[in-house]
Amino acid sequence: MKKTIENFYGATAGQVFEGGRDSFLQAALQAVSDRFALDGASFYEYDEKNGLLRLRLRQASGVAFEHEENSRPVPGSAAARALEYMQPAAASAPGGRFLYFPFMFDRSDPSGGKNSISGQGLIRLERATRRRRFSAAEIAKAAAFLRSFLRDYYKAEFFSLTRKYDKNVSAITELTEVFATALRVRDSFRHILAGIQTYFGFDRVRLYLIDEKNHKLKGELSADIRGQIKSISYEEIPLEAGAHRFADIVLGRSSGAFMERYKDCVLYLPLSVQGVTIGLLIVDNLLSQQRIEPAELAMLKSFGGQIALAVDNARLFDKVEELSQYDELTKLPLRRFFNQRFQEEFYRAERFKQPLALLWADVDHFKEVNDTYGHQIGDVALKEVGRIILANLRKIDFPCRYGGDEIVILLPQATGAEALRLAQRLSTEISELRIAVPFSKTRELKVTLSIGISTFPLDAATIETMLEKADDALYWVKSHGRGKIALCSDIADEKKKMAEAGGSKNN
Amino acid sequence: MIIWLLSDYDHRKHLAFKSLLARFSAAFPETEAEFAVKSRRTMWESLFAHLRDPKRNPLADIIEIPQNWTELFSRLGLLADLAAQVEPLARKRYPGFILKELCRHDEARAFSVPWWLEAPALFFRPRALEGVCGEPWNELASWDGFRATLDRLPAGGKNRNFRALAAPYSTGAICAADVLPRVWGRRGGLFSDDFNRATFTREETAGGIEDWLELAVSGKIELFSPDRFENGPLPVEQCAFIISSRKLPGQGARKAGPGLRQAKAGARQNRLSPRAAGTAPGDLKVLPYPGCSAGGGLALVYNLAVSASTGDLAAASVFVSWVMEPENLAPFTESFGVFPCLKTAFEECVQEESAAETYRKIFSAPELLPNIMAYPTAELLLERALWNLSLKIARRDYDREDLTRELIMAQGEADYLLSLY
Repeated sequence: MKKTIENFYGATAGQVFEGGRDSFLQAALQAVSDRFALDGASFYEYDEKNGLLRLRLRQASGVAFEHEENSRPVPGSAAARALEYMQPAAASAPGGRFLYFPFMFDRSDPSGGKNSISGQGLIRLERATRRRRFSAAEIAKAAAFLRSFLRDYYKAEFFSLTRKYDKNVSAITELTEVFATALRVRDSFRHILAGIQTYFGFDRVRLYLIDEKNHKLKGELSADIRGQIKSISYEEIPLEAGAHRFADIVLGRSSGAFMERYKDCVLYLPLSVQGVTIGLLIVDNLLSQQRIEPAELAMLKSFGGQIALAVDNARLFDKVEELSQYDELTKLPLRRFFNQRFQEEFYRAERFKQPLALLWADVDHFKEVNDTYGHQIGDVALKEVGRIILANLRKIDFPCRYGGDEIVILLPQATGAEALRLAQRLSTEISELRIAVPFSKTRELKVTLSIGISTFPLDAATIETMLEKADDALYWVKSHGRGKIALCSDIADEKKKMAEAGGSKNN
Repeated sequence: MIIWLLSDYDHRKHLAFKSLLARFSAAFPETEAEFAVKSRRTMWESLFAHLRDPKRNPLADIIEIPQNWTELFSRLGLLADLAAQVEPLARKRYPGFILKELCRHDEARAFSVPWWLEAPALFFRPRALEGVCGEPWNELASWDGFRATLDRLPAGGKNRNFRALAAPYSTGAICAADVLPRVWGRRGGLFSDDFNRATFTREETAGGIEDWLELAVSGKIELFSPDRFENGPLPVEQCAFIISSRKLPGQGARKAGPGLRQAKAGARQNRLSPRAAGTAPGDLKVLPYPGCSAGGGLALVYNLAVSASTGDLAAASVFVSWVMEPENLAPFTESFGVFPCLKTAFEECVQEESAAETYRKIFSAPELLPNIMAYPTAELLLERALWNLSLKIARRDYDREDLTRELIMAQGEADYLLSLY
């Protein structure tokens, strides 16, 4: 059904406005043009501060169109009089015959806030100069017609604001839940940013966290206007005054002029927990240059504490998880984490018929190192071994501090020969290590590894057997002089030969 | 199918499109098509509103955009690739200067189709310049010559409404469309050639903006004109100079075809348009924009794009293809005094102009606004600066320092934007 002002009277203003403010205005201007045989009708908003009439919508020759035009009414003119006395005023000018109908809204915000729906402007009814003037009867009729239209317009604006308020209330409820349930670090940051974008829809939201150890502000995640989230971990800002505007904001040294300039389309929200700043949330509408509504700014600011708490919780959770899964000394995963991953990799190797290698290493004479030089030196040796191992592995490899000085490395999609190559590389690099021991005669300590290797499916068909076979190979190395590498299959051959040699001797 | 058309100061465009759409509907009765006219600002807001909440803010199926919005909105995923439906831009159906900008990154895809173009030019009435400017073709070639001639023009005598200079497309305040042709004329721009930094404060750019501001400061052009509110744009016969990117009927344009006749009929229906349309024939002559007589001026191109979220890509593509047929495109562009973007139709149109020589000069090496992601926003930053300056000029408390301050701030924001996008 085509929208006309007559249709509107049957509906509530709230429903009327569903089509949008613009289609409502268009229909109204069309209706008034038809009813009063006009050549044109225009809707102006009045910018009282600058004394400007700003054309918003015009209807002429059966086409409604938005247009940007700003003019200043001549003092004393019909338009100026209409605005001053808030009474309709008619005029004839070389440009045509006009009837100006002023309007003004000023009602309070349904949310009870300080905001109010304010609006002032003019509706101009236009006829060409060759056509008849607006008669007194016509002016009265038009005034009644437009008053009724403006009443609906106001109601519609009011309903629109109420809907916005309802949306904000639901945003508060749902975002509170989002922030409260943020737990796992990567997911929770995403969760927080996605939540902000769902309800506010900024051009961009960025999260930076303070890396206290390195005294830096580090980028975490960024969400764009479409809600797409990407890592910005490549962004690192020294946390020093004057190094970057973000650093200045976090340090509380940002200039007022700078903040003032950006206040309409950027919000910098330092995240603080118990008075300690942990990061910075930045939301902006810089690309669209659209103003962030003051109500939205206020709401987001009020969420600042919750966001900070959620981010801090997530970081603590991450820290706890790291402590429970990784060895703090060597930075290698711990046995429980390894077992879980071993099962997954073994299942994958079985299903896709891919090789899997297990490398079991032991630091030679580690007990003696501890006993002779002390645990501190032993710890340094282990830490260095861990560093070298981590630096030599592929992304899919998975090492583990299995216990004491024993280290196990899982090598998915690797054959025995490939595992042997890696073991040789590790062995060489570790043998080149020199741990400083200032109080010893030699002043340094050399470290060597004994390594045993087993593979699936060649040596073992289960997880337990694989571990057992690698341990066997390691034991063989340790019982044959240490500092070497043995493949389970080689030992089996060796054992066989020895058994045969023993057998023939016995014979 | 819904089409969003960009609003135009010249109502003839809206009427011409209405009639174009009626012909399309007659040719394709199975496709229901409606259109809405949006101002540049609301078009921009609607596109961003859709990005923020697509369900609440649906997009039209077809959108008219300035050509340099293409990169931004295609990268934001709003525009459909039309290469498969319409044609790849690489087929070179368009003049080279358009393709150069539109295919900056990608020749194989087409996220928008060049539709019509215009180029700012200087129109003058030789009779008004008698005794003031002996050789307009020489004296008005440079900005300084043009400016000196403006100063020498006597007041209108008995004609109270006489204006030395008119810019019919003005929104009341000074806007980017006013200053950018002059900025280009001085070889300035909003960004460096490699687009690595903003150059609002560069001498050529700031100088170009200042040249235009000076026209307002000295009263050669009137800001927020009350007369315009009461009477619409000034009739061409009351102006000595008009800076317009549209061909004005009084310049002795090509013979009126059906498109033009239709447009004039529409103009008669519309109270304000006869003045704007300049239906009263004058003795207008046209010259390249002052300072761009050797070519290299600015050309403004408007494209048609299909929304990536359209429910009927096939129907939208049919419409775009149909509109781009020369027999549909040429009358449409002719009816509001612009040029078609199809190469053959464009060349034919220039050839048939009575001022063909001038238009050949204007289009000898025109430049387009850069089609890069940050450019449309940079233009908004400039608009904001110009709005603030316009208010100051109108209040008569403008100072050169205001310009410097506004440009420094706009440049800072544009640089920051470049670092983000």
